[in-house]
Amino acid sequence: MPESQVLNEEEFRRLCDFLYRRTGMVFSEAKRYYVERRVVERMSATGSGTFASYFARLRTDAQGEIEQFVNAFTVNETYFYREDHQLQCLTTDLLTERIRHKKKGDSIRIWSAPCSSGEEPYSVAMWLLENWPLVDEYDIEIIGSDIDTAVLEAARAGIFGKRALMRLTPNLIEKYFSRLGEDNWQILEDLRTSVQFSAANIVELTETRPYGQFDVIFCRNVLIYFDDASRRIAAENLFENLLPGGFICLGHTESMSRISPLFEVRRFADAIVYQRPATGST
Amino acid sequence: MPLVRKPTGQSPGPGPGPSAVPGNLVSGGTDERWAAARAAAEMPGAASTLAAALRNESDSRVREAMFTSLARIGTPESADHVISFLRSDSSNLRAGALDALRIMIGGMRELLPRLLDDRDVDIRILSCELARALPGPEATTLLCTLLSGEQEANVCAAAVDVLAEVGSPAALPALAACAQRFRGSPFLGFAIKTATDRINSQQPPSRA
Repeated sequence: MPESQVLNEEEFRRLCDFLYRRTGMVFSEAKRYYVERRVVERMSATGSGTFASYFARLRTDAQGEIEQFVNAFTVNETYFYREDHQLQCLTTDLLTERIRHKKKGDSIRIWSAPCSSGEEPYSVAMWLLENWPLVDEYDIEIIGSDIDTAVLEAARAGIFGKRALMRLTPNLIEKYFSRLGEDNWQILEDLRTSVQFSAANIVELTETRPYGQFDVIFCRNVLIYFDDASRRIAAENLFENLLPGGFICLGHTESMSRISPLFEVRRFADAIVYQRPATGST
Repeated sequence: MPLVRKPTGQSPGPGPGPSAVPGNLVSGGTDERWAAARAAAEMPGAASTLAAALRNESDSRVREAMFTSLARIGTPESADHVISFLRSDSSNLRAGALDALRIMIGGMRELLPRLLDDRDVDIRILSCELARALPGPEATTLLCTLLSGEQEANVCAAAVDVLAEVGSPAALPALAACAQRFRGSPFLGFAIKTATDRINSQQPPSRA
């Protein structure tokens, strides 16, 4: 084994097999350095003297290690227009399908769960206003939900730092935000009052059912943290929360096909999304 | 600003009460059976009712919800019901049962040794996969016990595949004996070599 390698070939394969089986994330030899750096971090943080002892901890999810490990691999901070190819897909394909059986003035319901501090649901609102010519012709209801009530308060306040706005053009910032001091911007009140925020745990049916059914759900980068049982329960809850023919968008490392057979895979030009079948499921 | 903040509801309504669940499971429409199947997860005594309804359920979505609820109940009794579907002629039911057992490993842990010793080769193969969810030492012990007497190469291959991930050096003698017993099987020999290499590769401390 080269001196610089932290994991030997078999350990690296063993870890990558586990990661794929558990999370669907695929890492090749080309990503070895990236993987090893995170393994070293987590071994150090957990006081694991050997890869074998760390891997045993990871496999049994001791003290939530899987979540910690996955966190080390993912970008946790969120920002406006993150994964905007899905937003493009929303206006190009998803809403086009959803309005096929609606008439002008009907409602279109979109749910962002989890919504964290609001970047995603506000992004959806801004994207629709900017990119969907039919936005005036339907009643569009956008709801953001999160299990964390503290982030929901922040979402309602709608105040964001520079990094959260890094993907937005100056024109968009000018149009939808007002500046608060040197480094903060607040989203305009009109937009703040267009998005509802409320608490929900997507694994609890009693908390998701009252939200009713949606045309599109954004549920990005959360299922990856759940264990198999919770993922499956969440998938069934989200299925109930979709109108027949409704769509769910997951994060780019996630695959509903690995979680539940309830949904159909739809491949559009800009994104792969999952759909509740429009008719019976037999 | 055309976006509205107007709660439109469209709630599917509350699920059925406990008294309605057994009836809805067998005679409701698809949505009622689905809702009843999900509500049954909160009724620990419902495992038998769920399993009976599952035998006659024709809708894949409802079957999925029934398996999830049996898994959520998570008792040895519900595990026993799920295991019975591993013997089904329907591949959908077998796959559904295996997926459910994977997420209820706690409830079926005490049943696993029996499954690994089942007379049905397919059950033994599927059970090896279930052992993957156990802590490494426990899985290693169970799978080495199986390897020591197993006559079917495919069952051994399933066990070896899991040991490649979870196995400790304690598995090496059983793997070597298995390789010797099946020395006419190049595939199994290759799988055992891979597992052995992976286990041997576990390195001494000092790198963290």
